[in-house]
Amino acid sequence: MSRMKLVLALLAALAFAALPLLTSSNYILGVGLSALIFTVAAAALNLIYGFTGLLSFAQLGFWGIGGYASALTVMTFGGNFWWGVVWAALINAVVAIVVGYPTLRTNRHAFVIVTLTFALLVTLIARDWVELTRGPMGIANLPAPSAFGHRFASTGDFYWIAWAFSVVMLAFLYALCSSRIGRTLVAIKQNEPLVRAQGISPMPYKLAAFAISAAITGAAGGVFVFHLGIVDPLILDFYYMQTFLIIVIIGGAGSFWGVVVSGVALSALPEVLRFSADFRMVIYGVILVLAMFVMPSGVAGWLRERRLTRTREALQ
Amino acid sequence: MTITGTYLLQLTLNGITLGLLYALIAVGLSLIFGVMEIINFAHGEFLMLGAFAMAFALPVIGLLYWPALAVSIVAIALFGLVVYELLLSRLRPDEFERSILVTLGLSIIVMHLVQYFFTANPRLVDTQFGFEGVEIGAIRITWTRVIAAAVAAAAFAGLYVVLRHTQFGRAMRAIAQNREAALMIGIRPRTVARNAVVLAAGLCGLAGAAIAPIQLVTPYMGQFLIFKAFALVIIGGLGNIPGAVAAAVGLGLIESWIGGFFTVAWQEAAVFIIMIGVLFVRPDGLFKRGSMRVG
Amino acid sequence: MSAILEVSGLRKAYAGVHALDGVSFAVEAGSVTGLIGPNGSGKSTAIDCISGFQKLDGGTVALAGHDVTGRPAHLIARAGLMRTFQTVRVYERLSLLDNLAIANQQFDPATWIDEFLRTKRYREAIEASEQRARELVELIGLKRYYEAEAGILSYGQKKLVALASALMPSPKIVVLDEPVAGVNPSRIREIEVALQQLNQAGETFLIVEHNVEFITNLCHHVIVLDQGCKLAEGSAAEIHTDPRVLEAYLGMTPEMAAAEMRGAA
Repeated sequence: MSRMKLVLALLAALAFAALPLLTSSNYILGVGLSALIFTVAAAALNLIYGFTGLLSFAQLGFWGIGGYASALTVMTFGGNFWWGVVWAALINAVVAIVVGYPTLRTNRHAFVIVTLTFALLVTLIARDWVELTRGPMGIANLPAPSAFGHRFASTGDFYWIAWAFSVVMLAFLYALCSSRIGRTLVAIKQNEPLVRAQGISPMPYKLAAFAISAAITGAAGGVFVFHLGIVDPLILDFYYMQTFLIIVIIGGAGSFWGVVVSGVALSALPEVLRFSADFRMVIYGVILVLAMFVMPSGVAGWLRERRLTRTREALQ
Repeated sequence: MTITGTYLLQLTLNGITLGLLYALIAVGLSLIFGVMEIINFAHGEFLMLGAFAMAFALPVIGLLYWPALAVSIVAIALFGLVVYELLLSRLRPDEFERSILVTLGLSIIVMHLVQYFFTANPRLVDTQFGFEGVEIGAIRITWTRVIAAAVAAAAFAGLYVVLRHTQFGRAMRAIAQNREAALMIGIRPRTVARNAVVLAAGLCGLAGAAIAPIQLVTPYMGQFLIFKAFALVIIGGLGNIPGAVAAAVGLGLIESWIGGFFTVAWQEAAVFIIMIGVLFVRPDGLFKRGSMRVG
Repeated sequence: MSAILEVSGLRKAYAGVHALDGVSFAVEAGSVTGLIGPNGSGKSTAIDCISGFQKLDGGTVALAGHDVTGRPAHLIARAGLMRTFQTVRVYERLSLLDNLAIANQQFDPATWIDEFLRTKRYREAIEASEQRARELVELIGLKRYYEAEAGILSYGQKKLVALASALMPSPKIVVLDEPVAGVNPSRIREIEVALQQLNQAGETFLIVEHNVEFITNLCHHVIVLDQGCKLAEGSAAEIHTDPRVLEAYLGMTPEMAAAEMRGAA
């Protein structure tokens, strides 16, 4: 990463870290930490959809499984929050490999539908496997995380956990997306037969991207439920999937920074559009439809097109 | 519980009715996919709108079933036309993911608008038939169920005739089978696509209107059914109409039987588990991908 | 000279049509061999089957003496057979540099761990790869587009990029599927020259083409397919006058062809 960009990124990260020092409003801090966590989930979706080209609705399922995994680790299995997040990541990685292996071999159409169905099945299980998940009541009263004797009880404290989590996850994703592996994923998305003709087997890459994005999304869900204080089948509400999708699409599928900036910006949006929940969803839907026609590659894509036109002209 | 012959028969009849209604939805989806190569995420909302149309038309027309049904079908078919002209006509056949996201957006908009204006409270829809029914031996079936099944069956018969024996239908099958060839002989894709969408919308509207008196009407009723419809279309093979119908009736029966002996939870999960199983064993669905063979 | 590629008894049928019905031939190391035939003769199917993009119903494929029959496409590429596609394939949204780098990726010794730790092995591999890429780009005359996105190039230029990509890992044999189809005549000459130079440097080519002049100028040896069978094989000159070839391609007898040539003169 160029020196300039590195400095900017560090400054931005520090600016975000400073939020609890600038305000004591739990409301703003709550919005802020949701923004960070949602951005991580959207970045993970970007990895599988933007970079690898696979529209996966399974992310919602991983998010939910992650939430339940971390909650259960603490409430049923006597572990702590940190282990909960680790388990959330690991379990989802395994599930993703098991589900992904057969699913990635089907065609594009079927992949989308199977991932969608997976998310639905997870919702059904969350609601109906009462012995494990406590059904529609959910698992409530999730305790505040603690480490080294300090309880992260306030929203401000939890904000820092969310901040540290998102910085680590985004740094990892950045490293991955800008590596040769990331470039291969992009190549697979653009021209899979060519990739095969060049000696690369696409399957391990797709599977790895699927598993990694699942693990990260799951971990994000695992963190998020502790902010909510409860996990119930509502964690699998399609609203979350729509939010992640809209962040990726507006930012620009396949653009790392586009999605990150979009994630932070759009998470503040619900607060601006504080009409009834239904009307807000209508607006999301309208944005989605409009974006598909006006800016299908998102803001980042639009910027890229402009740069490309200039390059093209320069070379002609 | 005693498993009597009549109980099983009741379950079977319910299953067939359910299956036929699912088939109406699945066939519409399959039709749109076959002709346009897009998956219409808003399909469930067509159904829901059909049910709401019925719910509103009935009281106005004095609870008369048939006029209300007709009105509902026409209304939703018109809605399908509008959706096609405004949105779907701008999608090209190779833009699969974009079409999903556009129709997803549409689905969000429609569902939440309905919920916003009409609330999420479940509605009970009453018709001229009330709860009267017919007795066949020890089994009792309400008229609304009987008519729903009959209407669905009639719709299929009609669809078969249309696809097989009319210009309208043949054009659709031609495009689904071989797009380039169809274009070369002068079939206009926009016209055919528009017709397919209107037809599919009409079928959904019919299904919704038929379901309305049988179960509670809510703004989100389409959401869950649509996922089952996707599963059916996949199991039957994308673009394969007889496949979708067979899968739908099969599902209706299985759901009915399972529901008769197990809890509701597994009934719902069953279809998805079967679908995933089928996809892994036969990645192209149980039947070959659509030539939209009708016979 | 030994055969770099040897295929024997290739058989492939679709829905009852025999696309390939027992085709056998060999490509000598260091040669430029042409594979021609009228439409529907099975040339593309043969290429797809040999390179692992379609499954053979029967027959064998041997690369440098090793049996690669039935292997998936990526493994055949790793074994040393690189191919291009009839409808040109490049990574449209990646730069020329990236296009060539990916073509070499599987063949260099650095793993993702090397990349992550920025080991010496990784840095050396990257340098070697870049060196080779620059050489090839120079050869195909697209130096100024090195950092530009492949998508802005013309069709003919993309075909050159596809050729360069196939050459990046210094393969045992390069199979070109209609390398000059749809390319304008001035560019065709460029490609011809480039291929000749590469062949002189030791590269082996199997070229599927319709352009008879191109084949005649380049190929030492020509194989003719018709309706899934090998019709004839020999030098370009021999093929030109072979009555079976003339009949299959042009529907003419040698006398008619001679008359045509006289008429055109």
